[in-house]
Parts: sequence; C-alpha cells; structure tokens
Amino acid sequence: MKEPIDLWIERHEREPDVVAKEKFDRFLKAAELKVPDRVPVAGLFGDFLCEYTGITWYDLSYNLEKIRPAVLKFVHNFPSDWGIIFAPMMLEGFILGLAFADFPDFSNTIRFLTGPVHDILKDKWSQWPGREIKEDFHPQFRGGEFMKPEEYKQFIENPIEFIHGTILPRACPGLGTPGSPQWNAAWIKIGMTMQKIASFQAQLIAEIGKMGNIGFPLTNAYAPADVIGDFLRYPTGAMLDMKRRPDEFKMACEVLVEPILKIATAIPPVPPLTVFFAPLHLNEMLSPKLYNEFYWPHLKKIIETLVAKGYKGFIFFEGDHSPHVDTILELPKGWGIAWFERPKNFMEVWEKLKGHTAVMGGVPTSLLIGGTPEKIDEYIKDLLSKIKPEGGFILSPGVNELPKTTSVANVRAYINAALKYGVY
Amino acid sequence: MLLSLKDLVEAYIDLDEEKVLKIAENLLKSGGDPAEIIEACRSATNIIGEKFERGEYFLSELILAGEIFNSVMRIVLPQLKKEIKPIGIIVLGTVQGDIHDIGKNIFKAFAEAAGFKVIDLGVDVPPEKFVEAIRDYKPDTVGMSCLLTAGIESMKKTVDAIKEASLRDMVKIIIGGGRVDKTTCEYTGADAWTNDAATGVRIILKWAEEKRGR
Repeated sequence: MKEPIDLWIERHEREPDVVAKEKFDRFLKAAELKVPDRVPVAGLFGDFLCEYTGITWYDLSYNLEKIRPAVLKFVHNFPSDWGIIFAPMMLEGFILGLAFADFPDFSNTIRFLTGPVHDILKDKWSQWPGREIKEDFHPQFRGGEFMKPEEYKQFIENPIEFIHGTILPRACPGLGTPGSPQWNAAWIKIGMTMQKIASFQAQLIAEIGKMGNIGFPLTNAYAPADVIGDFLRYPTGAMLDMKRRPDEFKMACEVLVEPILKIATAIPPVPPLTVFFAPLHLNEMLSPKLYNEFYWPHLKKIIETLVAKGYKGFIFFEGDHSPHVDTILELPKGWGIAWFERPKNFMEVWEKLKGHTAVMGGVPTSLLIGGTPEKIDEYIKDLLSKIKPEGGFILSPGVNELPKTTSVANVRAYINAALKYGVY
Repeated sequence: MLLSLKDLVEAYIDLDEEKVLKIAENLLKSGGDPAEIIEACRSATNIIGEKFERGEYFLSELILAGEIFNSVMRIVLPQLKKEIKPIGIIVLGTVQGDIHDIGKNIFKAFAEAAGFKVIDLGVDVPPEKFVEAIRDYKPDTVGMSCLLTAGIESMKKTVDAIKEASLRDMVKIIIGGGRVDKTTCEYTGADAWTNDAATGVRIILKWAEEKRGR
C-alpha cells in the first residue's frame, strides 16, 4: 500500500513547481510565526545518506562527481520541506571568513571548510576522511589551542591581522610563512578550488530545485565567544579564560562583532526571507551567569543588528539550551528560527517561545536511530497534537545527521508522520 | 594564613582556583598529609558534582573543577609517600570514528577525583583496543564517550566485540555523551548512560560499592 511519503514523492515527480511553491509558502509562514497548511518537515543527512546511496564520506568530501547522483537520489526518495545538504562544505571554517571579512565577494564562501581546501591549508582544526581518518568516517572538527592566554592583548588590538600573522601560520602548516611563495601559491590554489566547489554547488542546488525543492538566501554569522572557543583557545580554554581573564575575554568578543557583521551582510537581505545561520557551541556548556556575561550580549547585538537590517536569524542551539531559553525572549518578536538540539523538556521550550520565535526540532535523534516506525509515528502524532493549532513550528530531529544503521523504515516513518499529523 | 582542609574544601567548592592552590601549598609546606589533601579535594568535587546534578553548577564549573583538581594533583602527588589504592579501575575512551574529547576528559578528571584509576585510551578508539585494554588492565568498568551520532554505532560494535571476546561479564559498561540517552543505551547494550560526568561518576561509584558489598 502506498504511504503518504510515496504519494508526496509522486507529486514531486508530477508537479515539482507546485510542490516547490507549497514548500516555499509553508516554510516562509512558519518562519513568520504564521499558520501554514502543514507543519514543515526538515530534511535528513549524515552517514545514512552515505549508506543509502553507497558512497563514502570521502566521496562526499572530495568526489564531486559522486556527490551529485547520491544527493539527487537521496533528496528524491526522502523528500522534505527544507533541507540542508551543504556537501562538500562540511565543517566549520568561520575563522577563514573572519580572516577575509573585508572581502564580501568571498568571505561567505570561504567560511566553510572543505576537504580540498583542508588539503591545501593542512589545517589542524579539522580531520578528513581518506586523510587523517578513515574514508567512511564523518569529517570532524576538532579545534585546538592556537592562541596563548597572554596573547589576548594582541588579538584585541587587531583581530584580523592577528589571525593572518599568528593564528593561520600556527594552525595551517600548508600555508608556510606569511608572504612566502608557498603562502601566496596556497591562497591562489584555495581561490581556484573554491570557485570549482561554488559552481558545483550552484549547479546542484539548481537541479535539486527543479525536483520540487526550495532554498532561501543564506548568509552566515557566529557567536563571538564561539570564535574564541572553536578556533583560538579550545572550549575548555575559553571557559577557563572567562574566569581567569574576564575583561580580556569580553574585549575579544567585542572586537569580533564588527567583522562578523561584515561577513553576514556580504549577502544582502532579499525579501521575503534571507536567513543568517549561526551554530552555537559553547552555549550548552555555560552556566547562566557565564552565558549572560560572556556569551549572550555580543551574540544578541549581532542578531539584533541583522534583524534590523531585514534578515531573519536561523540559530542552531546545540545541546540543552533550556537554562538560557528566556534570553531569547529579549529579541524582537519574529526575529527568526531557533533550532533546538536536545532541550531537557522540548514542550517547555515551545510553550515559552511560541508566538515569539519560530521553533525547529522536537524529535529526539535517538528515536530515529533506535526506535521503531510505530514508536516514531506515535511520538510525532502526540507532539504535533500538542503543538498545533499554533503556527511557527518546523518538525526536525535535534541534529539532521543520522548514522548509517538508521533504518529506512524509521526515516520514512518520520516523514510519513509529518505528512499525516502535521496538517493544520 | 589559610591552612585548614576545611578552607580548602570551601575554596574548591567556590571554584577559587588561586586560593585552593595557595592553601594546598601552605598545607604541604607545614607538613600536612598529602593523602588528606587529596581526600579533601575528593569531597569537594563530590559536592560540586551534586551541585551540578541539582542544576546549580554547569559544565563550565565542572571543567574548572577538573582543572583545579589536576593543578592540585600536580603539586600533591610528588609528595605522596605511598600510592593510594584506587577504589576501582576504569578503561575510558572516545569510540571509533569520533575524535571529540571534552566530555571524556571531564569524566576522567571526576573519576580520578572520586578515587578511580583511569586508563585513558584516547580518541577514535577501535573496539579491539577496548577489548585488549580489558584483558590487560582487568577494569571493573568500561566508559565509552562520543559526540557524533555515528559514534553510537561504534559503541554498539564495541559492546558486541566485548561480548564476542567473552569479557562482557567481567565489566560494567557506561556510555556518555551529549547525544546518548536511554534508547541509545538499550540499543548499544551498555549497562548505563549519562549526559554528564557528575552523574556518570555517581553511577560508577554505586557500582564500586555494590562490588565491595558482594
């Protein structure tokens, strides 16, 4: 018997333009806190895609020819209202965006790390399949300590220059010494590589679009404290610095606000919806006291500035953000979409934010991995019966990365349940 | 001059790193027993763990507490006359395919503070390495950590490998990480799961007590 997902797939084949238009309206309405025809369902990704399409993480990171058919097959068989498949842009590289914050024509492109660029930089922030780790392993961001605690002063004086002159040579041995032939050649190679990847992605997105999918213009932002935790001092170091060097830490965040805004505004806001994406990392590790003092003020400034310019935020709140949820209410109503990974009590978060913030999430990733189709169906049915009739909600797992053993039946059950119980 | 162990415990709970180190140094200089200082740190970390579980402290506090413990140990351990017998041995590692170590390291610091000997296998640890370590060190407990969802599969594989090697009955297994939960625990075949180091250490302490009671 045909299930709702099968009928939806058939509609994608038969009338992709109509389906795309529906998705566009649906997502836009949810982002604007309105009631769409149905709760939008977010797409999936991860090892599951590799397993299902028979490619490896190495392919997904390096092998552009193999990415295309795999992604097209996957998107066809597991449709969603909105998906993020960035391949081959896999990992955080915001520090590179910062290094070139004054160059709006590419600051947003260089902001993600890719395998080919990693091969040139040989950066120590990340590890890649077929390079440092096995071909079937997910590329991984490791970060590290590349700034000494006593160097905050220099960083604060001129962060961009400090990144170029000190951080990049330390973290990226592939660049060699600043100004050397190796250094110059590396950047030319990176430019050529990025151009290839960018044109590949543009083509792929266009093809996915023809299959009844949508995308909204997306730009990038970051929490200043995460720049320090992810790229300069390691999260542990950043947290210790908050205690040991509080003033310097705050100043370092302060001087990062402007370059981050430059990167975000490099892509102009186009109505009806341009989102700035920011994944938060340190948030879940901090006590409210530290969060309110060292993390939130600068992030808030960035969000408010961009919202005032006509963007909407799209923030991934990693981990359990429950202790800090109230601060979100300080933002203007309708500021954007908050994607929660695993708040202790999702309904509590929803109750606090509904009507103020578009909320994304609600499905524990572990349920999709370890549950059964029946359990998934029952869970989503119950969840949506509590969420509706309120709008401004997007159904999604906490993270959209599923391991390879996730069963096809479970993933189909997730999409089926959204189609069955999501209608308003 | 601050000298008492009570002062040390108080400063430790307040996470006043400088003060803790100063008191520890003063105590050692004036002939204090290193074993007593370690015991005081142990009770302080225990209280910090409880505060964490009550939601008064957060990961940022656990990290600082772990850091303080390590700093105190650096000055106290060389003065220790005879080794303190551990209350249990735990083999610990981030599972294959995952290189993240923040959670593992906090758990390690808290387990050590609680009196366990920790054999840290590092990150990206394949199942056979865990099996080998169980044979070599005869631990009471195996701790597996991961951040990535892909790590959950590696945890299952590791538990399976331990079963295949007929070592499953010799050890209790605890899994930890931001993305593990009850469902994950059942799926992987572990004995317990935790999202945080404080709860994790409480679980392995309970296991150690049960073992002693047997």
